[in-house]
Amino acid sequence: MKYINHFILLSLLIIGFLLKDSIHISTNLLSLFASKESVEKLNIANNLGYSKEMLIAVKGFDKASKKKVRKIAKELEKLSSIKFVQYQVAPTEALQQYYKDFYPLLAHFDNKNLSKIDVSKKLQALYDAQFTNIFYTSIDKNDPLKLFSLDMQSVARASHKSGMMTLGKYGYLIRAQTDIAPSQMGAAKILYDEIAEIVKPFDDVVVFAPFFYTVENSAAFKADVQWIVALSTIVLIFIYFLLLRNVKLLTETLVALFSSMVFGALISTIFIENFNVLSLAFGMSLTAVSIDYLLHYHFHNFYETKSRIDKNVLYGFLTTIVAFGIFAFIPIPLISQISFFSLLSLSFAYVVFTFIFPHLKIKKYEDSAVVVEKKSKILPASFIFILSLLLFGYTAFNFKLDANIRNLDYQNESLRTAEKLFKENSSQKLIPVIVEASTEDELLSHLHTIQEKDAKSLSLASFVLDTKSCKEKRKLLMAYDFTKLNNFVNEEALKIGFKEGYFKEAYKFAESPMGCELPDLSIFESFSLATYKSEKYWYTIALVEESEAIQKLEFVTDINVKAMFQKSAISMYESLLLFGTIVLGMIFLLLFLSVKRNFLYALNYILFPLSFVMAILTTFFSVNIMHLFSLIILIAIGIDYGIYMSNSSKPRNTMLAITYSLLSTFAAFGVLIFSSIVALNSIGVVISLGCGAIFILIKVMR
Amino acid sequence: MQKYFLSFLLLIATLSAQSYNFSELRYSDAIGKFTQLEGKITFKPEGLNIEYPKSKRVLEYDGEEILFYEDGKERELPSAQASQMAHYFDILKLLHQGDASELKENFELEELNGQTLLKPKGTIKYYIEHIELIKEDKILKYVKLFLKNSDYITINISNEIH
Repeated sequence: MKYINHFILLSLLIIGFLLKDSIHISTNLLSLFASKESVEKLNIANNLGYSKEMLIAVKGFDKASKKKVRKIAKELEKLSSIKFVQYQVAPTEALQQYYKDFYPLLAHFDNKNLSKIDVSKKLQALYDAQFTNIFYTSIDKNDPLKLFSLDMQSVARASHKSGMMTLGKYGYLIRAQTDIAPSQMGAAKILYDEIAEIVKPFDDVVVFAPFFYTVENSAAFKADVQWIVALSTIVLIFIYFLLLRNVKLLTETLVALFSSMVFGALISTIFIENFNVLSLAFGMSLTAVSIDYLLHYHFHNFYETKSRIDKNVLYGFLTTIVAFGIFAFIPIPLISQISFFSLLSLSFAYVVFTFIFPHLKIKKYEDSAVVVEKKSKILPASFIFILSLLLFGYTAFNFKLDANIRNLDYQNESLRTAEKLFKENSSQKLIPVIVEASTEDELLSHLHTIQEKDAKSLSLASFVLDTKSCKEKRKLLMAYDFTKLNNFVNEEALKIGFKEGYFKEAYKFAESPMGCELPDLSIFESFSLATYKSEKYWYTIALVEESEAIQKLEFVTDINVKAMFQKSAISMYESLLLFGTIVLGMIFLLLFLSVKRNFLYALNYILFPLSFVMAILTTFFSVNIMHLFSLIILIAIGIDYGIYMSNSSKPRNTMLAITYSLLSTFAAFGVLIFSSIVALNSIGVVISLGCGAIFILIKVMR
Repeated sequence: MQKYFLSFLLLIATLSAQSYNFSELRYSDAIGKFTQLEGKITFKPEGLNIEYPKSKRVLEYDGEEILFYEDGKERELPSAQASQMAHYFDILKLLHQGDASELKENFELEELNGQTLLKPKGTIKYYIEHIELIKEDKILKYVKLFLKNSDYITINISNEIH
C-alpha cells in the first residue's frame, strides 16, 4: 500500500505508452471556436484550393523588380509542392485552346441575315480602313464582317503592366498555388521554410498565404504553451513545498496530480477526435485546483480520523463536477473539451486524495504552525451581498462583448500587415462564396444565376455555358446559313479588290460547333476556380461583390472567415448563456442543500468574485468568450471555499487551507497572464483577479 | 523651391525618355498593298508614346492602358483593338530595351547576317510568325514583324530626337 500512488502513475504511463498511436492532439486553434458546419465549409474551401493560394508582391515597377519577379517565380517553379506559378496575365495555352475550340458557342453572335449589299458595304469599309486607319488592325479571314465578338474582360481581369501582373500601385505580383492543405502541418512547414529561403535574398518582397497563419501561429502557440506549462510547474512545486514543508507529502501530491493529468489526457485524447493542445494545457492547469481537497484534508487532519468521507470536500467536489459535467455537453469545442478533461482529472484526484492518501502514512499536521488569526473580519455578509449587486449594476452599464473570435488567437501582427497590404492594394474587391449543387450541370446553372445578379462576379460561369444556354446557342448557329454567307463574302470581296480566295474559309468555323458536354474544368484553375465533389454534392467557389441578394441564395455559403466566426460567436454566447444559467441554477441548489442556514454567506463566495472581476474587466476590456468561461471556473472554485467556510468547525485551519489553495490556483492560472495568446491571457486575468477577490473575502467577511 | 523641384522632375523625365523619328511600312496580304506612315516614337520607362503629326493623332501607352488623341481630343478605342495594340507596344518596348533575359523568355533568338531573328514562344506565337531586327550601337534601327495572317510591318527608326 505504501507505493500504491506511484504504482498508479506508473500503470497510467505504461498504458499511455502502449496506446500512444491512438492519441490525437490538434494544434489548430480556430477549429476550437468554429461550429462544425463552419469547419466543414472551410474544409470544402480548402479542397477547392481557396486557402492554397500564395501571393508574392515585389515592390516597384522598375527593371530590378521585374528581375526579382522572374528569379522568384523560377525558384518557386522548382518546388515540388507548388502546382503552378503565374506572374503574367497571358492566358495559359490550355485556355487559349479552349477559347479556340468553343469560340462560336462562347462569343456573342449577331445573327441577323445579311443581304449582298450589307456584306459589300461592310467589306468596303474594311478595305478602306487599310489605307485610312493609322493603327494596324489585322483582318480576320474567318470573320471579316465581325459577326462574332467575345468579351475577354474576365480573362484580362487582373491588373497588369506590360503583361505582368501588378498589385495596384505597389508593385508586381506573383500568384502561386500549392497542393498542400493547411492542415498538413508537416508539409506546410517545409513549404513555408522553402519559400522563406527563396525570398530571403530580396528586399521589398512581401509574401502572404493563408496557410502561413497555421504554420506561424502553431509554432508561436506551441512555444507559448510550453513555457507557460514549465513556468506554472516550477512555481507550483515551489509553492507546494513552502506550504506543506513535508517532502513525502509534496512528492505524493505531485505524483497524484500528475496521475490525474495523465488520466484526463489519456481518456480525452483517445476518445475525443482532434482534442486540442490548448484544452490539454488548460485542463492540466485546472487539475491543480484539486489540491484544495488535499489541503483541506491535511489541515483538518482528515487522514488521522477514521471517517471515510469529509462532507465539505464531497459537496465541494460534487458541485464542481456537476458544473463541468454540464459544460461537457456545450456545443463549443474548447469549453466542452476542457470541461470533459477537468471532469476526469478532478474526479481521479478526488478519489486518490480521499481513498488512497489515508493509506500512505503521511505525517500529521501540527496545529501550532498556524499563524494566529487576527481579528480583521469587519464586514457582514449582507454588506458584501449588496456590494456585489452594486458591482453587477456597474458591470451591466459598462458591458461590451468582443464577438470577434479571431481576437482570441495569437495576434500575428506581421502576417496581418502583409495580408492587409494585399487587400488594400488589390483592385479586385470581390469576396469568395461556396456554391453547392447536386450535379455539375446544376452547379453551372447556379453560377449563371449569380452572374445574372452580379455581372462583375468571377466564376466558372465567366468561361463556361450551362447546358441549356449551350444547346440554344448551338441550335441558333446550326440554323444559320453560313455557306450562303461565305459565298456572298467571297464574291463581294473580289469585286472590291481583296485577293482572290482570301476569305475562302470565312465562317466555316461556325458551321459545326462543338457539342455541349462540359469541358475539362481544371483549365480554369489558374483563376483559382475549381470544382470539388463530396459524396453527395458538387462545390465550387465564386468571387462576388458583397451583396445580400447573392448571400441569400440558398446554394450560396459565405466563407469570409471573419463573418463565419462572428456568426458562430453569437451562437456560442447563446450556448454559454444557456449552459451558464443551468450550471448556476444547479450550483445554487447544491449550495443551498449543503450549507442551508449560511446560504447568503456561502453565496457571497460566488457573487463577490464574479462581480469584482466583471467590474474590473468591463472597465478595461471588451469581454470575450474565454473571460466568460473563466468566470464559470471561478464560480466552481469559489463554491468549494464557500462550502468549506460555511460549514467549518475549525475556521482558522479552513482559512489556511483556502489561502494556500488560492495561492496554488493563482500559480497555476496566474502565469497565463504572460501568454501572448489572448485566449490564455484572458483566463489568466480572470482567475488572478478572482483569487484576489476571494482572498479579500476570507479576510474581511464576517 | 517648388518651381525648381518641378524643373528637376521635368529634367529627369526628359533624360529617362528617348524619342525617335520613324517610318512604318505595312503590308496587308488581304489587299496585296502597302501603306506608309511617318511619326515620332518616345520610349518611356513604363510605356511609350507614338505621334503621327500629319494626321494629328497621338497614342499614349503607360504599360496598362492606351489613350488615343485625335486633334488633341481623347477618342475611345474599341477594347479588342486596344488590347491588340497593347501587345504590339509591349513587344516594341521589349525590343527597344533589349533585356536579354526577358527577350529569351519570350523568344528564341538567332543571329543571321547581322540581323537578329526572334521566334516567339508562349502566347505571342498565336499572332506573330517571327521578328527580324537590327540594332546599331545598342540602338534599335530596324524591326520587321511577320504576322500569322501573312501581313508584315517594317519599322525604320531614323534618328534620336534631342
